Amino acid sequence: MAPLENLLPLELIDKCVGSQIWVIMDTGKEFIGKLLGFDDYVNMVLEDVTEVDPIEGNGQLPKILLNGNKICMMVPGGDGKTVMDGEEDESENEDAAMVG
Amino acid sequence: MAKEEEVRPNGTPDDDQVESDAKDPSGFLSEIIGAPVTVKLNSGIIYKGDLQSVDGYMNIALERCREISDGRLVRNWGDAFVRGNNVTYICADSA
Repeated sequence: MAPLENLLPLELIDKCVGSQIWVIMDTGKEFIGKLLGFDDYVNMVLEDVTEVDPIEGNGQLPKILLNGNKICMMVPGGDGKTVMDGEEDESENEDAAMVG
Repeated sequence: MAKEEEVRPNGTPDDDQVESDAKDPSGFLSEIIGAPVTVKLNSGIIYKGDLQSVDGYMNIALERCREISDGRLVRNWGDAFVRGNNVTYICADSA
């Protein structure tokens, strides 16, 4: 991938059309799927979606229109598995500290 | 010099526009009108039914609307209106 040029946020999303993305909602819910399109409100059309919910568990959805209202973050190419090493370590340390 | 009849916004080739339209939200919606859909609300409630119509607020009119919880039918609502602000997603069941 080319180094990040000066790109408007919506242009970045536009570049992701046709590829896999990872969408994180305000609510903590996540969606991973292929981005087919979006509009000015960042409502998104996604295909072959995995819905990840920390409480309800995962689900598969063939094709959805996702309301942009509660979208918090979008990660291009994200597979929903990538977690920063530091974050995990930190939480572990916190747990350890609590126990200690 | 003759005045141009049609002023086209810069850089929008017609064919591309049509193709991308089919895949953006409004194109997707017009594609699935009349089809069976699953609507999930922010509260986690799931409604299944036939998509009768949608508007720009994502207000939804559903026919044969059933409320589903844990994959089980909870209630039959018949024709229902769902206010758009509550909607998380609309899923095309047939796609």
